[in-house]
Amino acid sequence: MSKKTINIPLGSQHISLLEPVRFKFECENETIVGVDSDVGFVHRGVERACTTKFKYDAIGYVVARICGLCAITHSLSYTVAIEKLMDAQVNSKIQYLRTLLLELDRIHSHMLCLSHTAESAGFEAMFMRIMGDREDIMEIQELLTGNRIQFDYISIGGVNRDIDSQRAKEITLRLRELEKKIYGYIEEFENNWSLSLKYKGIGRLSLDEAYKFNAIGPLARASGLAIDVRNEIDYLPYKEIGFEMQLHTDGDIHARNSVRLAEILNSIAMCRNILEGLPDGDIFTKIKGKPTGEVLVRYEAPRGELMYYVKGNKTAMLDRVRIKTPTFASIPAFSHIFMGENYADAPAILASFDPCLSCTAK
Amino acid sequence: MLRSLYLALKNLFSKPQTIDYPLTPIPKDKEYRGLIEYSEEDCIYCLKCEKACPPGAILFAPTPNPSENEKNKKGLEYNYNPYLCIYCGECVRACPKPEEALWQSNKKQEVALKEQEVNEKWFALEKKHQAFYQAKRESKS
Repeated sequence: MSKKTINIPLGSQHISLLEPVRFKFECENETIVGVDSDVGFVHRGVERACTTKFKYDAIGYVVARICGLCAITHSLSYTVAIEKLMDAQVNSKIQYLRTLLLELDRIHSHMLCLSHTAESAGFEAMFMRIMGDREDIMEIQELLTGNRIQFDYISIGGVNRDIDSQRAKEITLRLRELEKKIYGYIEEFENNWSLSLKYKGIGRLSLDEAYKFNAIGPLARASGLAIDVRNEIDYLPYKEIGFEMQLHTDGDIHARNSVRLAEILNSIAMCRNILEGLPDGDIFTKIKGKPTGEVLVRYEAPRGELMYYVKGNKTAMLDRVRIKTPTFASIPAFSHIFMGENYADAPAILASFDPCLSCTAK
Repeated sequence: MLRSLYLALKNLFSKPQTIDYPLTPIPKDKEYRGLIEYSEEDCIYCLKCEKACPPGAILFAPTPNPSENEKNKKGLEYNYNPYLCIYCGECVRACPKPEEALWQSNKKQEVALKEQEVNEKWFALEKKHQAFYQAKRESKS
């Protein structure tokens, strides 16, 4: 048999892709032996716009538009960075409300990823089911913020809307219903025979490799690497509301799905705890002054660690806004996982990474 | 196997999850963030909303026939571009008289048609606005 390889591109437009990304696979028969990737198709120059076009108090709304799925993590990271630069403190009610929305965002982002993993494995009915149930979370977010996707909920010094007891009650009720549905998914993802053929043992990343390739987020936690920014930061009250790190040891697509499902359950529990023990207080504190100095803020976005570096110079325009997104940091791990896998499994593996290209290219 | 068969049969006769959209309207929360509304009589022309707006969807541009509001000393007119607005509500929070002069409704904006030339009209307005402030700065210096 000759050693001749063929190149098969996946993307930049492909039926299994949500956003434009191009992978060039070098294949020997059906097996992938080489990977080349290009992620810069949706570059919009957000970082540059943040330092030339917009004043510091409007940038929270600009960075929220980087990505529809982790909009809240972007605006929250930026807002906390500015609050640190201006030496401002916010009360615990504001922190709890911010955490609530962050966790709701994680739930719907994970549900989207699970549905697309199911779709890429050829299980369209599961895709429809999860996407249909995801509407519950979107409606909860609309109740809380007034919009389904672009929340614009966080402003420098607080949050934009208060939550009354009736709304809190309705959200708790809906979350309880959603929890039952999540248990249904867990049963399906664990026991469905055809899904196990597509998921178990496919796209494996070992613990050593996860460490070596600097994997983050659910990708790393599925390989057993205990890395989660929520465990490390102290500017949100994660320890009080019952955060538990979800780990798995297999490192394959099934493990990543399991970690995501377990995180959804943990997030629902956290949201319930927040709504039950929401402290009293104002939702907004006025902050005076201009940002000065430099600061680095990290948050756990649904896909992993999101890092913001902000530098101010006592004027309304900032010197530098640097955004490091989770998908960008995971690309070496992505490329490694494809090696040695079948080309036919590539879409399902790619969907299980939950790549967010609009975040990556900014 | 039996369970999935039961579920499949149940789904066949259950209500669809989608709504019959053009005939049934989409259920909307009553505090949905919608268009910004303005009352000329109560406005004090402090221009705080114009400065606070992140995309610049509110412009107080000079007009040949200004309103009779005594606070309007510079002869300006409120202009709002619903297609540029991101509905964040920063203007309402910046307004010294919220709910009276400026408030956020739950109405949705209609889709614009090409004949309405929304962009062209707005760009002309932006130019006028820039020229007005440029002339003012020059006269000061």
